[in-house]
Amino acid sequence: MNEKRYAIVLDTKKCINCKACTVACRAENHVPHEEGAYRIWVTALELQGKFPDLHQDYEPSQCQHCQNTPCESVCPTRATYKSPEGVVLVDYDKCILCKACMTACPYNARFVHEHHKAIDKCTFCYHRLPEGREPACVETCPTKVRVFGDLNDPNSQVSKLLDTNRYYRLKEDRNTNPRLYYIIK
Amino acid sequence: MSTHVEKTGNSLIQINPSKAPIPFIIIGLILLAIGGYATLQVLFKGHEAVYGVTREVPWGLLISTYAYFVITSTGLAFIGGLGHAFGFEKYSKVSKRIVVMAFVILLAGFTQIGMEIGHPIRLMIYMILSPNLSAPIVWMGVFYGIELVILAIELYLVFKPNQTAKDHETAKVVGFFALLVGVFATSNLGYVFGSLNARPFYHGVYFSTFLVISGITAGAALLMVIHNIIYGWNIPEKLNGTMNALGKIMGMGIALMAFLYLWKILSSIYTQPGDAYLSAMALIKGPLSKNFWIGELGLAVVIPFLIIAFTKARNTRALGVAGIIFMIGLFFTRYDFIVAGQLPPMRKALEGSGVEAVNGLVQYSPSAGEWMIFALGWGLFLFLYFMAEKFLNLETEEHH
Repeated sequence: MNEKRYAIVLDTKKCINCKACTVACRAENHVPHEEGAYRIWVTALELQGKFPDLHQDYEPSQCQHCQNTPCESVCPTRATYKSPEGVVLVDYDKCILCKACMTACPYNARFVHEHHKAIDKCTFCYHRLPEGREPACVETCPTKVRVFGDLNDPNSQVSKLLDTNRYYRLKEDRNTNPRLYYIIK
Repeated sequence: MSTHVEKTGNSLIQINPSKAPIPFIIIGLILLAIGGYATLQVLFKGHEAVYGVTREVPWGLLISTYAYFVITSTGLAFIGGLGHAFGFEKYSKVSKRIVVMAFVILLAGFTQIGMEIGHPIRLMIYMILSPNLSAPIVWMGVFYGIELVILAIELYLVFKPNQTAKDHETAKVVGFFALLVGVFATSNLGYVFGSLNARPFYHGVYFSTFLVISGITAGAALLMVIHNIIYGWNIPEKLNGTMNALGKIMGMGIALMAFLYLWKILSSIYTQPGDAYLSAMALIKGPLSKNFWIGELGLAVVIPFLIIAFTKARNTRALGVAGIIFMIGLFFTRYDFIVAGQLPPMRKALEGSGVEAVNGLVQYSPSAGEWMIFALGWGLFLFLYFMAEKFLNLETEEHH
């Protein structure tokens, strides 16, 4: 039995909005340069404070690899499935492009990949994991906003970060149990 | 239970001397040509290049038109079932038309879903090889597939020459299942939307109920429209009772629709600031407000209801007019239902988020290509149905 349970912990205070993660993701996963085609994004949140004491935060995000997976449950052909480690993946060959998963996803994390003729999304760079490599967005980030690891390993960096920090997850009210954790500082 | 027994004409092919179907056959052919052109565009250029749906609003006009057609078909099957299985004589007097219409309009619906889905062939393969039974779309395929088969059997039965008493018994059973499966298919379609975690506007029992009721109403409306067209707006007296009964179904259906609207909209407004609230406000005073007030409420509720109420459902021409107005309005009902639920953005439209919004809502408007596929569905329905009127004997003869 595979006991790994992958997750990403994000310290968004470190984000400088360089968008290197989005570029790395696009290059690594051959995401086409087309409107609406992106696996990850960095939102510039609203400005806070009053001039001249202004402050801005950024919120990088992507597929949340939910444990309760709304996209998987509505997929008629099981094209969307979860790996043993809990990574939500799409089998391009089974995808019929009904787009039910797109309408079901509360994070707007999915899009139509025109070359694959299938739904596409973040895979945590699943193809790199057997080589011991981290997802491209994690590897490329100059300020180490994202930390990738195994939640089932108490000695992993992600487990330690979650043990020692308060955190939030996006849209917890949707009961999706996401695997992206945002540290609160 | 009535002892009514219906007898259909003996000859299958019978050229109708009426010229009424011809313009509709020609219009159908023109629309089919337009739709055929768009189909080629989709095949050569791809869905994304031709359709206006987006990452934020993945389901648009074609899903709306699909719902419009298939729900109307199951509504017709419901009315047919009332006639066949439950012995409501007034409906069995038009049973041939009901079956042909329900079958053809279901096919028209399938053109829309066939052109919407990126890989329809793959759908059929993997629905068998690896179906996800928790996915409502699987059940949608199952129910509408069974409905098509049932309607095909009904078609055979109503056109079978020299019908025996056993055939009538079989027709009763098949009619009952057409009604039952139709109700499951339509209410499950509400579940297809209701199961979407991200879209609270669709959640709950409302849409499953509303779709069934509005489908039966649409079936009644379409029957009155088609009969008026076929008989040159002068429906024979022998069908007055049938038209009156259909008018009453339609009036009651509209009243129930209005009742459901009231509570759906009010309850959605009280979810402020949630997404169901945003969807309701998109209808009330947002980008869909004209559709909602003029199309959904004006054309599909107020005007046809007033016509039916003032004429007491006795004037068949007025019923035909009410039917046409309702069927036009119902298009907005289906479109608004599909689109409104998807307009609330899944994240704020801030720089870098990838989302664009106007007044807090994402936008969608159908492309020319989508309208042409819409034309394909209508073309198929008009062409096939009026060809049937012209070349098949759709009169249901009766004796007691």
